[in-house]
Amino acid sequence: MNAQQDDEALLRISGLRVGFGSPKHRLTVLDGLDLSLRKREILALVGESGSGKSMTALAAMRLLPQGAAVTAGEIRLDGQDLIALDDKAMNKVRGARIAMLYQQPKIMLDPTATVGSQVAEAMRLRWNLSRAEARPKVIGLLRDVGIPEPELRAKSYSYQLSGGMAQRVMIAAALSAEPEVLIADEPTTALDVTVQAQILRLLRKKRDEHGLAILLITHDLAIVSSIADRVAVMYAGRVVEQGPAREILNAPSHPYTQALLRSSLMQAKEDGRLYAIPGHVAASHSMTCGCRFQPRCTLAGQLGIEAQCLSDEPRLETVSAAHESRCWGKGREGRVHAV
Amino acid sequence: MLNFIAKRFVMLILTLVVVSVLAFLIPYVGDGDPVRIILRSRMADEVTDPAMIAALTRELGLDRPLSEQYLGWLWRVLQGDFGLSFTTRTPVDVMFLHALGVSLLLALGALAVAFLLAIPLGTAAAVKRGRAFDHATSFFTQALVAIPEYWIAPILILVFAIYLGVLPSAGWHDWSSMILPVIVLSLRPLAYFTQVARASMIDVLNAPYMMAARARGLGVSASLLAHGLRNAMLPIMTLFSLWLTSLLGGSIVVEAIFAAPGMGWLLYDAVLNNDVPLIQGSIVVIVALAVIINTLTDIVYVMLNPAVKLMS
Repeated sequence: MNAQQDDEALLRISGLRVGFGSPKHRLTVLDGLDLSLRKREILALVGESGSGKSMTALAAMRLLPQGAAVTAGEIRLDGQDLIALDDKAMNKVRGARIAMLYQQPKIMLDPTATVGSQVAEAMRLRWNLSRAEARPKVIGLLRDVGIPEPELRAKSYSYQLSGGMAQRVMIAAALSAEPEVLIADEPTTALDVTVQAQILRLLRKKRDEHGLAILLITHDLAIVSSIADRVAVMYAGRVVEQGPAREILNAPSHPYTQALLRSSLMQAKEDGRLYAIPGHVAASHSMTCGCRFQPRCTLAGQLGIEAQCLSDEPRLETVSAAHESRCWGKGREGRVHAV
Repeated sequence: MLNFIAKRFVMLILTLVVVSVLAFLIPYVGDGDPVRIILRSRMADEVTDPAMIAALTRELGLDRPLSEQYLGWLWRVLQGDFGLSFTTRTPVDVMFLHALGVSLLLALGALAVAFLLAIPLGTAAAVKRGRAFDHATSFFTQALVAIPEYWIAPILILVFAIYLGVLPSAGWHDWSSMILPVIVLSLRPLAYFTQVARASMIDVLNAPYMMAARARGLGVSASLLAHGLRNAMLPIMTLFSLWLTSLLGGSIVVEAIFAAPGMGWLLYDAVLNNDVPLIQGSIVVIVALAVIINTLTDIVYVMLNPAVKLMS
């Protein structure tokens, strides 16, 4: 299913290009990204560091770092193009319609402001509430995300919270104004494993209760298997494979996804060591016009199709019902397994 | 919080005890014998009569052991009695309370001007970092630091008092005589406050919690007001209290040019005449004020940023 054709999409990113620098010396980090997130869906965006996952999140929030800019494409929320909005209109979208979670919850909280005041912020902006009007709702939210003694905790500061508590507070702050979309950028990476599971359960509960759509950015395939409905695999600023989580995890089609799965902790090599994908993500300026994964791909060599992989970039093509992959080797491999 | 304040208070008392000993001893370090200086100023001539010297020494209590002198002096100081000036024979507390009032007015006026201009200037420079306004601000503040007070003060007098005739050139009469010295005293703190405001605003603008605030729907200026200013204020507050304590001691150059009877003048005269009670009293009062201001700054700092308490 192509992003452009997905009518059910709540958040639809199409042909998105994001680059750093001036037009003359541009470093492109997202290059023709297509992605769609449906209501009540948890979509995992996976890929190694430098693949453009976080840039996708920041672009969708329109909070790209200085020097970075969207140069092409659309980001539509319920049909409305966010790129076209002016700053004031975009302020009304953030928090109220799209909210965000981050990797390091503790540093995302203002050390000089109370937890409660920060949780109250988005709802006060959206519904124009006074501090007193927001208070019971804030305490309700804090209780709901599993914070003990919420009346007391509302008055505490970030330095008094553990990482897990801080992330719960951030979730309460993110859901404060009842947004439709939550973008969670590695929300459990900085937390220990038992807390990770609690936070993921909480996110799933929020999806189940409110029909929240969650774009979950992660590099952890264990998280993907435990919570995601769909998976989109990113490589060098593009989606190379996407489809239902179970299918992607059990029968990955793209050589990169296969390599990613093999290098995860879930599958050690026969000698007990972990597999690593050779090489690293090439910088965009050194890329050929062909497949971006080609320099690191073993499948191309085995099939003898390097010439095609080098000269033309494959398109996202259907593997099965809702499963797409961007590879010239698709259908030719006869289940040749790389390495 | 109360525990923190109590600890601070104990430190304050200890500091003051140490300072009182030092302040008491300082006049004895110099080589000018106060008795001879007083007699010279009273008789307008060098006095060598041992009887007169012995009489005055006894009258001033200078013949008793140092420890006894100190305890007696401390006891009187605690009751608010700083003694009589050796030279003018008037109560010391009256003299320096008047001078301190002048210096305090000048200091607070200058720092208020500096603070109120520096916050918007520094914030704007931080927001427009690297652009023309930022460069202009940085040039302006560097120029301010480089301008000597003895140069800018006469120029201001020339323009506003002599050429335009709108402000008094010197003296201490009403609020209008405060304006020029306040402007001159405010220039340097203005420059430093602006530089620190810019630097801490840049830190704050890049802080992750500011991005989180933007992601909750706050606009640029709303997030600055709600989260930026308070965080950026912390280093500026420290600088403010440092400047306040240093300006309390008075500025001899500015007070001399504008004939303002502040602490600078008073201390200058006191040291020249080796006026022991005046020197001792002034040091104790200035240091006590400085220590109290520092303690208050610490307390306000913790109130603004509760995380600091854990580290101290």
